[in-house]
Amino acid sequence: MALLEIKNLRAAVGGREILKGINISINSGEVHAIMGPNGSGKSTLAQVLAGRETYEVTGGQVSFDGKDLLELSAEERACEGLFMAFQYPVEIPGVTTSYFLKAAINAIRKYHNQSELDAMDFLKLIKEKSKLLEMDQSFLNRSVNEGFSGGEKKRNEILQMAVLNPRLAILDETDSGLDIDAMKIVSKGVNSLRSPDRGILVVTHYQRLLNYIVPDFVHVLRDGKIIKSGDKNLAMELEARGYGWLESPAVVA
Amino acid sequence: MIQTADLSNNLEFFAQLATDTPSYGADWLESLRREALSEFLRLGFPTTHDEQWRLTNVAPILRTAFVRPGPRSATRQQLAHLIGTVSLRAIDSHELVFVNGEFWPEFSSTKGLSIHVGTISEAIHRNDQTSELIARNLGRQTAAVVDGFAALNVAGFRDGAFIHVPDETIITQPIHLLFLTISGDEPVIVQPRILIVAGHGVQATFVQSYAGAGETANLANAACELCIGANARIEMVKLQRETPQAFHVAHDHVRLRQGANFQSLVINIGGALVRNDLAVILDGPGAEATLNGLTLSTGRQHIDNHTMLDHACDHCPSHELYKCLLGGSSSGVFKGKILVRPGAQKTDAKQTSKSVLLSDEAVMNSQPQLEIYADDVKCTHGSTTGPLDDEQLFYLRSRGIEEAQARALLTYAFARDVLYRTWHHGLRSYLETLIVAELHRLHLDQAT
Repeated sequence: MALLEIKNLRAAVGGREILKGINISINSGEVHAIMGPNGSGKSTLAQVLAGRETYEVTGGQVSFDGKDLLELSAEERACEGLFMAFQYPVEIPGVTTSYFLKAAINAIRKYHNQSELDAMDFLKLIKEKSKLLEMDQSFLNRSVNEGFSGGEKKRNEILQMAVLNPRLAILDETDSGLDIDAMKIVSKGVNSLRSPDRGILVVTHYQRLLNYIVPDFVHVLRDGKIIKSGDKNLAMELEARGYGWLESPAVVA
Repeated sequence: MIQTADLSNNLEFFAQLATDTPSYGADWLESLRREALSEFLRLGFPTTHDEQWRLTNVAPILRTAFVRPGPRSATRQQLAHLIGTVSLRAIDSHELVFVNGEFWPEFSSTKGLSIHVGTISEAIHRNDQTSELIARNLGRQTAAVVDGFAALNVAGFRDGAFIHVPDETIITQPIHLLFLTISGDEPVIVQPRILIVAGHGVQATFVQSYAGAGETANLANAACELCIGANARIEMVKLQRETPQAFHVAHDHVRLRQGANFQSLVINIGGALVRNDLAVILDGPGAEATLNGLTLSTGRQHIDNHTMLDHACDHCPSHELYKCLLGGSSSGVFKGKILVRPGAQKTDAKQTSKSVLLSDEAVMNSQPQLEIYADDVKCTHGSTTGPLDDEQLFYLRSRGIEEAQARALLTYAFARDVLYRTWHHGLRSYLETLIVAELHRLHLDQAT
């Protein structure tokens, strides 16, 4: 059984159809990349999978670990093991990162009928993961993402991913706005989460990130449909030749 | 007791309530009161035709047949219970308790305080430097009386609190001025007054609280004057926690000398109809003022906060952050005026107003008012009004946090953002605990 099975997914926002029939299958242990020009629907796909209600699913099915994903609320999807790293993580003044992480961890544990994580174990966990992402512990007492640079925000996303231990991690243009050093640190974090129990979906515009997070499969999204799939070499080809050379959705490879 | 069915008679009615208040043998106070009374009769009460009162209709106040509370008009038992809920003794605060305009020493505590903290009447009676200080400052912070309410207070306040902090004195514990309004079957009118004179280099924290008991629609018409000496560092917290039926109108005037640093926090939780007028004048170069506000409203409350920051001198920074959480059919007003006078170069003024509407019927009206007469200044203002931020909500939910909990979290966070700017740590913790409890009690943490 695939970890994530998307069949003919269609979605719209503001009455305009963005996803026009997506088909992907991701197995545990695999890293998939979705690339595409601006406006192709990459972020829409990520947001729809995460459960953002501003997007309307107009057709198709998505199964996650055998369950009907589209029937679950955003918080239920997170508790079932789906994690999305946002492209533009929002700031939440007044909620400390520490409080937020603890609330998230305990919400997921509660969902699985586990007891709350005790304070000591929580701190130990955070210390370990923040070291991995080269983040100073001081961020814990600051409000979520407040005053964080672009790089820090993205690292905070991957930190959360590391702490919440998802079955499927979706990275929505995690490399946008990052310099090489930040990208390396983020990639190190993501790579440390590779495991036979976990699937990773990397949504990206540029091939560069994929030098660091090497994908098993690459899919090209254009006008709301996947028009070509391949392995990591497809990404290199796109880098060299751009998106223009690919056939339009009408003539699918 | 006079009925006030006819609004046109009510100036005389209120003037009657204002006469017959003692001047404690001070001629200056007697003539100040006389002037104020004639100002009151000339100005009348503000109406919605007055620009500054366009959004707040005081007719409900004018229609109420208030009575003057009698002396010692509450039982000790009533008071002990009420005071227990609003006292700040638990955070080691000094405390003066006034009930219906009268000072109750048996409930007050100024132990260990070496400075002069007491009533205006007592200070006048001393007939020394202290009483000279009062004569020089009381009712003198503005050139002209602002409106009918302010005039009425000067004309008719019974007694009030007077604090004099001498130069270079540092007071670590907060000084709490608690004004309670207790009524029986008829609505009462009380006019609390505060005068604080702080010398240069002073560091102190003051709290003024307004609360009460009784089912009637009482009126607290309050006035506070705060004179801050050069390089002093003063924090003033106002806690308006009147009963749900009460009317509360207040005029606060603050004057800062050179290099002084002042932070104000105005918290509104209670009251049916509330208007706070806070005017701060930066009257010396390098003086700095921070004005923070947090209003929680629900039901049919109407809470109006007007602020005025007068940049009279150069190199003065000012910051304003006023936040409102409105539920039910409540309405709120924020009007922040910034005046930058000619010569007030290098002014750096920043004003932010943020309101969260937790129900479809709640309404918020927020306006800046800038009058700038100097050319080398920075003045920014921003305002947002809307429901809880959808991006923030989704972010929390995407991490597994249930929607109801996410909403509560964001509501507390919104409020806490103002509270954690409080300088005094003990006070900050007290306020955070209080607001969390109030948000819960008012169901503002569960609104859709």
